[in-house]
Amino acid sequence: MNLKGIIEGILFAVGDEGITLNDLIKILEKEPEEIKNTLMELKNDYESGDRGIRITFLGNSFKLTTKKEHKEFFEKLLVDTKTYTLSDAALEVLAIVAYNEPITRLKVDEIRGVNSSNMIRKLVAMNFIKECGKADTIGRPNLYKTTNDFLDYFGLATKEDLPKLIIKQEVESEDKDLYTSTYKENI
Amino acid sequence: MYNFVINDFDGPLDLLLHLLKQSKMDIFDINIVEITHQYIDFINKMESMNLDIASEYLVMASELIEMKSRYLLPKKEEETDEYEENPEDELKRRLLEYQIYKESTEKFKELETTRHEVYTKSPERITDLSDTKIINEGVTTYDLLEALQKVLGRLEKSKPITTKVARRELSVKDRVIRIRELLSKKKTLKFEELFEEVNREYVVVTFLSILTMARDNEIKISQKNNFGEIYLERVD
Repeated sequence: MNLKGIIEGILFAVGDEGITLNDLIKILEKEPEEIKNTLMELKNDYESGDRGIRITFLGNSFKLTTKKEHKEFFEKLLVDTKTYTLSDAALEVLAIVAYNEPITRLKVDEIRGVNSSNMIRKLVAMNFIKECGKADTIGRPNLYKTTNDFLDYFGLATKEDLPKLIIKQEVESEDKDLYTSTYKENI
Repeated sequence: MYNFVINDFDGPLDLLLHLLKQSKMDIFDINIVEITHQYIDFINKMESMNLDIASEYLVMASELIEMKSRYLLPKKEEETDEYEENPEDELKRRLLEYQIYKESTEKFKELETTRHEVYTKSPERITDLSDTKIINEGVTTYDLLEALQKVLGRLEKSKPITTKVARRELSVKDRVIRIRELLSKKKTLKFEELFEEVNREYVVVTFLSILTMARDNEIKISQKNNFGEIYLERVD
């Protein structure tokens, strides 16, 4: 069984949906260690200079991507050079959700000082955030958290890769309990 | 004139941060009287430009005015309630918190740009055939016919509905006649009254008609003050 070739084929087939190590283990029915090593081997093969794609761990799964080093050539290939980017408001909401999840819409509104329900709906439709249970507060509002698509969109592998927040000066210590969330996630 | 775009502000906190930066004030050392003045000034300008102001901006305005009024009133000695957060401290806390997220968006923008530099492909469409059940028993030709009819019905629905899109032509000449009719009933008309339909063509043609009529001395156009109501008056 040509394990390396099969993994390569699977990675091609799943495309930008990617595949997790666990799913590979399930499909291939081999020892996790063996699969891990083969995947690493394949990854190293791709890293050599004469290959055009590589394996990237993005949004909690392995994906084949092109190489950043070759970007200028892809740019020439593009018909429409204007890339679509998210608005400041969208980025604000995403950042607030990412650093505070699970979080209710109300809390997002509070931090931003404006109503964010339309933006939240948009981001849910784009699959960057999703509902993840209800808060134990009055009205049992929906809780939201970021998705793997969100991580992928920003080229992040896992949530640990989120950029650190720059906190300029410590807010008075007695205010601290305001930041600890009282929400519990129930699935 | 004003060198800002209203849409650039994502809410009152964003606006406040901008005003603080503009007047080189620190969040920890806000001059409430000064910043309230600037904030209200800004809101008034927005209003004078006939822009819709989100209610959140007005809530913040009223909070600022309340804080400012505390400065103007003689201070009572030590009447602070321990359990209530001083509104000024609360505002500072909110500004600080909001600022953290606002600044983090810069980092996300960088990440977004870097990610746009590499490409992936859509997944292959692997259709699952293994689960297809084959039912041999109890199926009559009528069942098949029914199924076929359902499919045909669905096809019928997915067909685009043919329709003609006709454009109504509107000429300046016709519009002048219509405005003249209106003016024959009423000597003066509000400018706005003539724009009851909001589409580009209608607005442009109406505007041209008014200009034409003014040129031909059919009407007189007047306005009492800046941004005030504009009136059209019939010249007899």
